[in-house]
Amino acid sequence: MKLRLLLLCAAACLVVGCAVQSVQPWQRDLLSEEKMQLVPDPVQGFLDEHIYFSKEASSGGQGVGGGGCGCN
Amino acid sequence: MADHWIGRFTAMASPCEVLVETSSHKEAAALLELISSEAWRIEEKFSRYLKGNIVHQINTANGAAIEVDEESARLLDYAAVCYELSDGAFDVTSGILRRVWKFDGSDRLPDPASVAQLLPRIGWNKVVWNKPRITLQPDMELDLGGLGKEYAVDAAATLLEGATQASFVVNFGGDLFVSSLRANGEPWRIGLDDPLHTGENAVGQLQIERGGVATSGDARRFLLHDGKRYGHILNPLTGWPVEGAPRSIMVVAETCVEAGMFATMAMLRGPEAEAFLDGEEVKYWCER
Amino acid sequence: MQLKSSLRVKLRAATCSLLAVTAGSAAAANFGTRWTVEGASLLYAENKRTTVFEPLLIVKRNFGAGQMLEGKFVFDAMTGASPTGAAATNRSQTFTTPSGNRYTTQTGEVPLRKFQDQRGSGDVSWTKPLNRRFKSVLSAHVSAETDYQSVGATGTITADFNQKLTTFSLGGGYNSDRINPVSGVPDGLTRVNPNLTHEETRSKHIADGMLGVTQILTPRWLVQVNFSYAKEDGYLTEPYKIISLVDTLTGETRTGDYLYEKRPDARVRQSVFASTAYHFASDILHVSYRNYWDDWGIRSHTVDLKYDLELSDKVNLEPHMRFYHQSAADFYTYSLPRGGAVPEFATSDYRFGTLNTQTIGAKIGIRTADLQEFSFRLEYMRQSGNEHPDEAVGVQQNYSMFPPIDILILQVGYSIGIP
Repeated sequence: MKLRLLLLCAAACLVVGCAVQSVQPWQRDLLSEEKMQLVPDPVQGFLDEHIYFSKEASSGGQGVGGGGCGCN
Repeated sequence: MADHWIGRFTAMASPCEVLVETSSHKEAAALLELISSEAWRIEEKFSRYLKGNIVHQINTANGAAIEVDEESARLLDYAAVCYELSDGAFDVTSGILRRVWKFDGSDRLPDPASVAQLLPRIGWNKVVWNKPRITLQPDMELDLGGLGKEYAVDAAATLLEGATQASFVVNFGGDLFVSSLRANGEPWRIGLDDPLHTGENAVGQLQIERGGVATSGDARRFLLHDGKRYGHILNPLTGWPVEGAPRSIMVVAETCVEAGMFATMAMLRGPEAEAFLDGEEVKYWCER
Repeated sequence: MQLKSSLRVKLRAATCSLLAVTAGSAAAANFGTRWTVEGASLLYAENKRTTVFEPLLIVKRNFGAGQMLEGKFVFDAMTGASPTGAAATNRSQTFTTPSGNRYTTQTGEVPLRKFQDQRGSGDVSWTKPLNRRFKSVLSAHVSAETDYQSVGATGTITADFNQKLTTFSLGGGYNSDRINPVSGVPDGLTRVNPNLTHEETRSKHIADGMLGVTQILTPRWLVQVNFSYAKEDGYLTEPYKIISLVDTLTGETRTGDYLYEKRPDARVRQSVFASTAYHFASDILHVSYRNYWDDWGIRSHTVDLKYDLELSDKVNLEPHMRFYHQSAADFYTYSLPRGGAVPEFATSDYRFGTLNTQTIGAKIGIRTADLQEFSFRLEYMRQSGNEHPDEAVGVQQNYSMFPPIDILILQVGYSIGIP
């Protein structure tokens, strides 16, 4: 458990601490594409999350809430 | 404490300004730098006066095909669509008419023969545009001046939207874009030039929540001959100014490019300008 | 919505193209797509088990300045057979369902019970930038099926720093569920007896929170790390699932020798999730990893890969792979010994055992107009576990205790933006 939290903190620091390059505002055209969203297709994400929530014992990770169902 | 900053510079032969609702001078300076660079970049790339840029290469190709970059391709696609939608009235190959028309407020009209001589060298239908290659006939020229300023406004606005969440106005010589209401929920108040004078006193105020504004008009560029006023919007099919056009039209639309195109298309319809804009359900102000 | 002349529509579309605001661009939302309507249908089919048909509809209204209202409506029609938790044995087994029907399972087969149900759900979500730096998203949810109802709400705040290169997000949610099984709620770990009636309705509450950070690393690359925590309280047991009692030597089950399962009434779930997206010349790679653990003893790893291959201006192909492995819950058991001590908690629900899920598939997106897109997705999923675990007793060793499940997923979707 402690090792996990340590890894998490290290990952978060790594992420926040170092932008590998300084990104100027006019360089954001690629980043602003809808397909570059971390959930590129919310419909697929929602349907898959529902499937895996029903078939596996783990859930969540990328958001909060989401309704319950009598399938797990 | 300042609640907004105004940055000014000159580009495309116009006074340009950007108003940003920030109290940070540092942020305002960075944003001014951002959009002035973009305005100059677009001006240098598409100006017909500069040697070596893509427009110059196309105009001096002497019948050869020129491969253009992605941004130029988008502008050419747009020019093609507007040529179709305006039934040939909007034509980016009509720029050579400036060689015989000089709108300096005088009464010197060109010789009809010299105008007629230019007509065979005008016509987008004579251009071979197969993205990404464009081929002009050896004696034809491209002039993107009818699109350039509005495109620069929208391009600058896009950059700003990616760089800040502050409310802003980009205004390049009267072609402008407003991003949103100000933080207090009020709209930006834009002073308008009186189109019949030289624009020293703002006679009206425009309040829009979000969108582009463009003006087409002959306030400063015209000829007066025998009591008849000749505006500078030329009909590419005749080579002469559009008859019965309003003195000025100002259009409000989603983007500055769209506003500018509606304004231009309306002017090209002369007496039908208002009817056209009413039919398209476009917001506008018209002076005759 | 007024009817717009075709010139205005064409000019609007042409302007969108000029300003490089393509249908796929997030900026399209800023440039006047006032409404977005998206419909999709999912067909989920397990080989010889459960089939689910799930159509959904999403309607989004963009009010400008980053404010958006979204409504999502989903319907599920489920039918088929699912494992009850009883183990395969060396004779046929007969069971009585909660509604009084009987069904029989053949020798050596994992007992499956037929079921059929429908579920409807609705979500509404409101996104609003609060100021230059902060944005809030509030949402509410409601869903209902014959024996289960759920209501919930969430709130999330995001904060941008560093010229929007770094974004922190903090979210919380609360869900309140009501469980009212067809024949009432059985007492856990008591002998299965369909004639007894029990308490009718139970409840379950879930509170969850998430803290995340997203960082733009280069003009092509961004990464996100999230930490999630959830606490569940209330009735967390599956009322229809049972556990076989078996002879400690022969592993045989006698007629009617089954217990109802029982799970603890509290659960704490945690996970660390990392995800990244990288934009090549025109293609995009998405990779994510989740490490999950809870106080029921379940530990899992999930790896997900997607590659968006832009075949042309209008068509893209996206292959997808997902790998999942979980270790069993502390109280998971294949069966219980007859006459032995009954543990405090036990479940034979295979979804709480050691299991692996592998998914492979692809999606095709076809852009038919500037703001319209069709999509088709086909995936093959396979769940497998330990077919011959050490815990298998006697005759159980002759049969598969976890036959792999083959699943086919088909999704068809259409989305349209209206300026």
